Amino acid sequence: MREKVARPDEVRRWPGDFPVAHRYTPGLAGDAFLTALRDRGAILGSRCERCAYTYVPTRLFCERCFAELDAGVELGPEGTLVSFTIGFVGLEGEPLDRPVTLGLVRLDGADAVLLHHVLDPGDEPLEIGERVAVVLRAPEERTGSILDILGFAVAEAESD
Amino acid sequence: MEPRVAVVGIGHAGFAPITAGLSYKELMFEAAQRAYADAQVDPRADVDSFVCCSEDYLEGTSIFDEYVPDQLGAVQRPVQTVAADGLFGVATALMLIRSGAARVVAVEAHSKVSDVLTLGAIEQFAMDPVFNRPLGVPALAVAGLDMNAFLERTGLTEEHCAMVAAKNRTNALDNPRAAYPADVRPEDVEDSAPVYWPLRELEVAGRADGCVVVVLAAEERAGDLTEAPVWLLGAGWSSGSPTLESRTWGEADFVARAAERAYAMAGIEDPGEEIDLAEVDDVYAFKELQHLEALGLGTAGGLAEMLAEGELEADGDLPVNVSGGSLGQGNLFEANGLARLLECAEQLRGEAGERQVDEAYVALVQSWRGVPTTSAAVVVLGNEEGT
Ligand SMILES: [Zn+2]
Repeated sequence: MREKVARPDEVRRWPGDFPVAHRYTPGLAGDAFLTALRDRGAILGSRCERCAYTYVPTRLFCERCFAELDAGVELGPEGTLVSFTIGFVGLEGEPLDRPVTLGLVRLDGADAVLLHHVLDPGDEPLEIGERVAVVLRAPEERTGSILDILGFAVAEAESD
Repeated sequence: MEPRVAVVGIGHAGFAPITAGLSYKELMFEAAQRAYADAQVDPRADVDSFVCCSEDYLEGTSIFDEYVPDQLGAVQRPVQTVAADGLFGVATALMLIRSGAARVVAVEAHSKVSDVLTLGAIEQFAMDPVFNRPLGVPALAVAGLDMNAFLERTGLTEEHCAMVAAKNRTNALDNPRAAYPADVRPEDVEDSAPVYWPLRELEVAGRADGCVVVVLAAEERAGDLTEAPVWLLGAGWSSGSPTLESRTWGEADFVARAAERAYAMAGIEDPGEEIDLAEVDDVYAFKELQHLEALGLGTAGGLAEMLAEGELEADGDLPVNVSGGSLGQGNLFEANGLARLLECAEQLRGEAGERQVDEAYVALVQSWRGVPTTSAAVVVLGNEEGT
């Protein structure tokens, strides 16, 4: 029988890390989405007529039927909250100073959902099914990134 | 289907929050030694092919395939690595044997997660780099979103999930290899801190180190190697729609597809009636319920009732995660599937000690690769009485 270590802190360890750096190509479809977001504040999707399904962000192909798609549908800016979660911990489990809220939103005109922060949900508890709207960064601050969207805010109740 | 394939040996090592002092190679060696002794095989002479299941980033080594042969007795032999849960390795072994490429195959999966200092970063690195990762949230957020969508769709509640966490952690008290046994009540779970609400701390499986090695053989060899073969009756696996934006939220459709294939191969028509016990993924407590639904073992309403009636307990009609599951045994990452298979093999051999389930003939094993994936495998096992 091999001897078991009683004091894990006394075990010999060799440190190692690995600097990982990439640059990712969003591709034709991703580029169309990010350019429209930066230049026009528009959220683009791709519609597959055969599947009657609208993707967001844009896609070059349909994952359901393998058809080639184009980036032609403008979605939102309002939508419906499909799910949300409130985060109390960071990447390695450390407690956060302020909780973060994330939401999955089905923008009007889309079948797929968009994942982003829910901004200042306030004291009213959020509810699935609630109407929300996209909040964009100011035009001069946009860089062509998913972060050109600041997040979703609960939509103002419509007045009759 | 011919030839029939059996589990003829199984061994494990670790199953502890930290396996201090043992390298991952030594952990694998220990489990392999036990599996080969159990099957009474010499890996250098009797095992025709070896399958390892691992993921480079978790290992901290590029091309980890090159780091597995020696500790398994597989140097200068056919070895392949499957970058997936161990059950995908079992499915690969089944194909190797059925195709005639091998008669005896060893499958290995392990976790040496105590060596990983930045697990959250590795999991986050699995998210889409352009559209998801910039949000700067852990992959755990995906579990919180899925749980909330699941509860909304099914009407199951946080209380039901807490009951699962309490059941599995308590079951682990009877499992000597469990890393996280605890006498907890559902109230304790509901009182634990939210991590990604509605998901709470006690509903997340703690990390553990461990290794499982399984030896499988064609029927013609199985008879020589064991007196208690555990037959591999069916196997299936499937991807879902992995993209966060277009996946099916709140539902494990990929598990349903994997199960459909495994049931078809095993000739199972009514899983609720034909399966005697199940070890399913419960890395997050709600996942056990979501997976049971996808496996056709209960509807949302039915599961609420089964929990209330204690039917999922070790002495219930459908014992689920008698081992303690991942909540009780620890999250062993790519080794989770084989840890569940280990429990079912012991149950079907009648070697499960204090947690032995009565009349265990057919067992179901299911695995999921964890957030943010939609990847699952299902295996159906049976002993001589179960075939
Ligand atoms: Zn299509």
